[in-house]
Amino acid sequence: MRVLRFVLRRLLQLVPVLLGVVILTFLLVRVLPGDPIKTILGPNASEADAAAARARFGLDQPLWQQFLDYLGGLVTGDFGTSIQSGGAVASEMAVRLGPTLELVVIALIIALVIATVLGIWSARRAGGAGDHTVRVGALVGNSVPEFWLGLVLILVVYSVLGWAPAPSGRVDPDTNLSLITGADLLDAALTANGPAFLSALHHLMLPVATLVIVIVAPLLRSVRASALEVLRSEAYTAAATHGLRDRLLLRGYLLRATLARLPALAALVFGFAIGSTVLIEYVFSWQGFGQWALRGLLFRDYPVVQASVLVIALLYVLVFLIADVVQAILDPRVRI
Amino acid sequence: MTLLAIEDLSVVIHGRGRQVAALSGVTLSVGSGEVVGLVGESGGGKSMVARSIVGLLPGGSQASGHVFFDGSDVLAMGRAELESFRGRGAAICFQNPRGALSPTRTVGRQLVDRLLTHQKLSPDQAREVAAELFESVGIRSPKRRLAAYPHELSGGMAQRVMISLATGCAPGLLIADEPTTGLDVTLTREILARFRQAADAEGRGVLLISHDLASIAEVCDRVVVLYAGTVVETGPVARVLTEPAHPYTRALLRSVPDLDGRPVAVTPGSMPLLREAPGSCPFAQRCTDSSERCTAERPMARLITGEWSTACFHPKTGSLAERVHGLDDIAHARHLEQAEYPLRIGEAPSGEPSGEIEAPGKAATTGGAPYRTEVVDAREVLRVEDAHVVYGSRFGGGGHHALRGVGLSVAAGETLGVVGESGCGKSTLARLMLGLQAPTRGRVEVAGRDLAKVRGAELRRLRTRVQLVFQDPIGSLSPRRTVADAIGEPLRAAGVPAAEREARVRAALERMELDASILERRPHELSGGQAQRVGIARALVGEPDLIVFDEPTSALDVTVQAQILKVIAEVTSDPSRGAVFISHDLATVRGFCDRVVVLYLGRIVEEGPVESVFGDPRHPYTRALLSSAPSLGRGFAGAGVTLTRDLEETDAARGCALAPRCPFSVPACAEREQELRDHGGSRVACHRAADIPGLIELIER
Repeated sequence: MRVLRFVLRRLLQLVPVLLGVVILTFLLVRVLPGDPIKTILGPNASEADAAAARARFGLDQPLWQQFLDYLGGLVTGDFGTSIQSGGAVASEMAVRLGPTLELVVIALIIALVIATVLGIWSARRAGGAGDHTVRVGALVGNSVPEFWLGLVLILVVYSVLGWAPAPSGRVDPDTNLSLITGADLLDAALTANGPAFLSALHHLMLPVATLVIVIVAPLLRSVRASALEVLRSEAYTAAATHGLRDRLLLRGYLLRATLARLPALAALVFGFAIGSTVLIEYVFSWQGFGQWALRGLLFRDYPVVQASVLVIALLYVLVFLIADVVQAILDPRVRI
Repeated sequence: MTLLAIEDLSVVIHGRGRQVAALSGVTLSVGSGEVVGLVGESGGGKSMVARSIVGLLPGGSQASGHVFFDGSDVLAMGRAELESFRGRGAAICFQNPRGALSPTRTVGRQLVDRLLTHQKLSPDQAREVAAELFESVGIRSPKRRLAAYPHELSGGMAQRVMISLATGCAPGLLIADEPTTGLDVTLTREILARFRQAADAEGRGVLLISHDLASIAEVCDRVVVLYAGTVVETGPVARVLTEPAHPYTRALLRSVPDLDGRPVAVTPGSMPLLREAPGSCPFAQRCTDSSERCTAERPMARLITGEWSTACFHPKTGSLAERVHGLDDIAHARHLEQAEYPLRIGEAPSGEPSGEIEAPGKAATTGGAPYRTEVVDAREVLRVEDAHVVYGSRFGGGGHHALRGVGLSVAAGETLGVVGESGCGKSTLARLMLGLQAPTRGRVEVAGRDLAKVRGAELRRLRTRVQLVFQDPIGSLSPRRTVADAIGEPLRAAGVPAAEREARVRAALERMELDASILERRPHELSGGQAQRVGIARALVGEPDLIVFDEPTSALDVTVQAQILKVIAEVTSDPSRGAVFISHDLATVRGFCDRVVVLYLGRIVEEGPVESVFGDPRHPYTRALLSSAPSLGRGFAGAGVTLTRDLEETDAARGCALAPRCPFSVPACAEREQELRDHGGSRVACHRAADIPGLIELIER
């Protein structure tokens, strides 16, 4: 019950935060040098053409009028019209967001599991060879650029070994997957399309692996450090000297106390992973949100940039909210 | 039957670039059904003994000798053997129960874990047994408490849970590491009795570790005194306590202020940190009777009678109560030296009669009258009027009443003692006096000015008139600043130029008997005693009107405590300023306070001159505090009062706060608000105060 109240309160706080984001991006994107109209009309367009195009997108209106129009649209769920493609931003984004979220969420879950298992394993052997190997491995994974790592994985796993499909999309078109959410794996599961599910899984393999390798290091370090702290704590020592068995110590006295600190970092890593996908999507031709947002920015496509920043801000706030709730569940000392 | 037999145990810890001989040839034993006290100051090796018994030596340590438990050597055990020995064989009650309870598991599950591991029970049975165990250690509504997390428990409650965890392992030997540190006198009694019960009723061996011999004496059969990793004396508690043979045991016992107000002897110096097993008597440096032989060869334990032995070439005989010749001499000599130091630093406030300044070294003891100064100047330095402090809860509503209408005043030259159990509002009162906490209602005046009515620079200046000496001496100094910076800080804040600052810092340091070489050191390089002297110097350097001592010695070792108490006694004897001494230890307060205030749940229940409050307590609470305080001497002479129930369970909303715990309470107590009224020499907040002596007689008969 208290958790519910906390969530509601935080969701209410979301309103001013998002309003601030809307105002800032609306202003900043117009401060940027470059003109979206010039990019769609080309260098040879006349002044009259440009003025007509401007009027079509409402860019001839005073700034406050533009802002009010935009805000009014937002309230009804209308993110505006893309200057570049002429399509509705909302529907374009809906198609793009699913694949990227699928990629990031799956990668984050796998990274969290790996970090927890390896981190605790490593902490229990602190100073040993296994511990050092794990730490150095994680560090190396964290240090290589993601686009390079993606290319190497494609080279090895696809070109040489032939285990992975070609990096040219998210699902085999022959499987006739019908689009619902844009997240292919989820769509396949919803439509009970077995071949599409397997194909989507197969295509996810390399991009997810790339992202996992990139983001696992900070999580692993954090788990290892807090596990070490718990292992050296008086509470753990007390439990051990009272003769409790290893399995009980691990489950009852180490795991939860260790994970209590992870949620906040995981939320940060989630944000970082969304940023990282831009390059990974590019390497794997993923047609995701990152690429779409980047193109919008390059062409000064105002509605696209505004919408993507707003969505990222929303995701951030929601993920941190989830992290806070999870942390409160894990650590009884945290009051929410 | 001997359950535990430690034979010639030595532990050397190798650290980076240095080694420490933590234990050197320790021999001791504990039998089933026996309670053995292990006593000594920090660094003596008490905890190391406990850790050796459960095979929990720190990394880089090297142990030799034997720790026989039921005939098998713990030091030689393999991993699997050790695992089955731990808990079932010997279980430790850890010193800091809050830290030793896992924060993310309910205490009930932690107990059930132990029960299931060590006793053949089904999970349902284990829960039943857990509730019973909780009840047996005095936890109320045990079923509900099983679901509590450690952070939801008070210190005393956590300590009881810790004891239940250790006994839940059903160990042959129960080891308790400082089980009563930081607990109230009333609680301490209860918890110690629980250990006695474990030995008597359950037939366990109990090893009780403590720095304070007096507090555990009552429940122990035998005691072992450790000094610098060696056993200096061991024997039946009655003998060791009354006629200790080893000079260190004597020093230890005489360093503790006692309720009966007998003199405290100060033993100079501190325990040496040994790098290797000592080749001579480790106490020789501090001992007045040391001869050449003491520094040339190490005394081995020699039998005196029966089970009583000591490691000393010149064992003392005779009762402790007699004058301890050597120690007094040393203390006296040091005082004579010291009397030449300037007593006052800087200028006294002008226009003030300097009064008769007593030489601080007049007596070697802080016991009797010598330190009390006549109040020649009744200038009031602090006045608190009807102060209420309410700590609001985070989301409004309710809140915690820390103080409920406290009024007191301190005159220059006077020392006011404030005593009470933890949670009674002592620390809040200190914060109030310093202006760190604004009263929710009522007023606080410093040097005649209301703290709430001044702002800005004037408030800052007024604040320098009151200084605080903290409980944690090292933690209250910034780790990145040198001692010179720390002491000079109040002067810098007051804008004193650098040259004068340095001179005054040096003078303050000298008054604290510290060497100037300490000025460039940082807090982690100081011992507890040195750090507390620095803390006092810092409070003193700005010549405040009032110094508040908030439990200044409770974090220190016993012999160091005595040294610091002596310093404080000197500081408080200065007639130009007032002092407030806050403590949960009644005996300490008796030492050198002029007046004493007894707090209970945010109210003053009794107030008056030390003699009348301690000699003839009128309030049942004061009487209960006095009668439950541990004492080696005569203790509290009057008839005792035992309170029922705990502090934390009491609801203090209306009427007399003590009513639910007081054996003399009548329905009227819970309804009528109590006011301080004159009774004899003191003022008491109890409407039955006049009848109490008669009632006690009635009960005793």
